Amino acid sequence: MCKKTAAIILTAGLLALTGCGDSEKVIDGNIENVTTGSRSEEPTGEMESSQAPEQQAETAVSKGYVFEAGAVTVGVDADMAPVLQALGDPASYFEAASCAFEGLDKIYTYSSFEIDTYPQQDRDLVSAIILKDDSVTTAEGICIGDSLEKLQETYGDGVQENGMLVYEKDGMKLCFILQDDNIISIEYRSTAL
Amino acid sequence: MGTAVIVLASLYLLQRLLMPKYAADVVEGALIAEYYGEEKDHDVVFIGDCEVYENFSPAVLWQDYGINSYIRGSAQQLIWQSYYLLKDTLRYEKPQVVIFNVLAMQYNEPQREAYNRMTLEGMRWSRDKADAIRASMTEEEHFLDYVFPLLRYHSRWSELGAEDVEYMFHSPQISHNGYYMRVDVKPAENVPEGRILADYRFGENAWAYLDRITALCRENDIRLILVKAPSLYPYWYDQWEEQIEGYAAENDLLYINFLELVEETGLDFTTDTYDAGLHLNLSGAEKITGYLGEVLRQEAGLKDRRAEEHLARVWDGKIEAYEQEKERQYANTALDDSK
Repeated sequence: MCKKTAAIILTAGLLALTGCGDSEKVIDGNIENVTTGSRSEEPTGEMESSQAPEQQAETAVSKGYVFEAGAVTVGVDADMAPVLQALGDPASYFEAASCAFEGLDKIYTYSSFEIDTYPQQDRDLVSAIILKDDSVTTAEGICIGDSLEKLQETYGDGVQENGMLVYEKDGMKLCFILQDDNIISIEYRSTAL
Repeated sequence: MGTAVIVLASLYLLQRLLMPKYAADVVEGALIAEYYGEEKDHDVVFIGDCEVYENFSPAVLWQDYGINSYIRGSAQQLIWQSYYLLKDTLRYEKPQVVIFNVLAMQYNEPQREAYNRMTLEGMRWSRDKADAIRASMTEEEHFLDYVFPLLRYHSRWSELGAEDVEYMFHSPQISHNGYYMRVDVKPAENVPEGRILADYRFGENAWAYLDRITALCRENDIRLILVKAPSLYPYWYDQWEEQIEGYAAENDLLYINFLELVEETGLDFTTDTYDAGLHLNLSGAEKITGYLGEVLRQEAGLKDRRAEEHLARVWDGKIEAYEQEKERQYANTALDDSK
C-alpha cells in the first residue's frame, strides 16, 4: 500500500468516525446521555407564560393515557413544572440522586397519588404516576378495588407483562396489578426510561 | 508495514482521546480500573453496586482491625457483573472473604448501557470481561463497540474538553481502596415506601448468578458473606429479605442486614447520609465498617496484619491520602455552609 493511499484511507476513516455525530447521541463525560433514542418523542413542554397554571399543565400533557387530578391533567413524559404549579405543594417530597449521574429523580406525594420524575436536560419529566387509594380514578373511571371484569370492559383485554395487566398507548404504559381479580395497584409509566 | 502502524497508532490515539475519562464528572466510572494498580494481597474483597463503594471504608478495617480489604464496586453493578468481577479478581489473588451486597438481586435483566460501560470498560481484557459484556449488553448494544470503543464514542468529538487531553494516558486516583468518600450531610426525610410489585420473587437469572458466586467462593475456599447496606432507598422489601435469609440459611452463609442494625451501629440518618438516605457519608460508612470489622474478626477469624512491615507501610500512604481527602472535603463543606 503506498503512503498516499494510506493517507487517503486514514483521512476518510477519521472523517467517517467523527462526522456522523448527529445520527446518534453522544456519550460524553456525563454518559447519562447514552440513549437508544426512545426519548426522542418527548414533549416540548413549552408554553406561554401568560397561561393559567391549569391550562399550562394540560398543555404539558403528552400522549397516551392520562391522569386527571381535579382540573389538572397529568401525562407521563410531560414537563413537571407546570403540573407542580397547578397542583401546588405535595404532602411530601423526596429526591434521589441516581448513582453516579447528575440530576435527580424526584417523587412528589399527594394525598392519593404520587408523581415521579426523571431529569432531562434542564427539565423534570414525569416518569410515573401512581394511584395510592380508591379516592382517585383513571380518566376512564377505574380505581383501586375495581374488578378485573370492570377493568377489561373499560380498557379491553390488555397484555400480561411481569405479572401486571398492561395497556400500552402512544409510547406509555398503564399498568394494573391484581390480586384475586381485584385491582391493588395502578401506575402510569413512561417507556422512555 | 510502516503505514499500517501509523494508521493503527492514529486510531488508538483517537480512541484514547475520545473515551470518557471519568476524572471530573461521573468519577464512579473510574473505580473498576483502579484495582489493577493495587498490590493484590487482600483479605477481603467487596463486590456489588453503590451500596458497597459508598457505604464501607477499607481504611477503617485497616486502622481498627488490621484487615486489608478492597471494594470492587461500581454504579448499578448487576449480579452477573459482580460474578465476573469476582472471577477476574481470582486471576490475581484469593481473598479469605468475599462480601456481596444483595440489592442487585432486584435486577434480572440487563439495564442501561451507560451503567454497563462504567463497570465493564474498566475491566482488563480477559475471557471474564468478554463474558461479562455478553451477559450485560442490552438489545441495542454491540460487542464490537466494547472491543473498539472508538466505534461508540466517535461522536464525542464535539464534546471534548481539557480533561480529555490531560487524562488521555493516566487517570487521577478517585477512590480509597474502592471506597468513594463523601463527607457532606443531607438528612433522610420523607423516604417513600416501596411501590406495590406484581411479583416479589427475585428472577431466575439473578438466582443463577448468586448460585455461581456461592459456588465459586466454595471452590476457592473463600468465605462468602452477604450484606444489605443500610440504604433507605431504593426500598428493601420484606419479601426480598425473606428470600435472602432463606438462601443464606440453605447455603450456610452469613447474612448481615445493616438496615436492622441501626441501633447497634449507631447510625443516625440525620447526620450519616449525604443524599437523604440513599448512601452513607463518611461518618456513616465509618460506623458500619466498624461493626463489620468486629464481625470479620470474630466470625471469619481474620487476623490483625498491622504488624506486617510492608503492608503497614503501604497503608501509611493510603491513610495519609484518606485523611487529606477528608480534610479537603470538610473544608469545602465548611466553605459551602458559610456562603
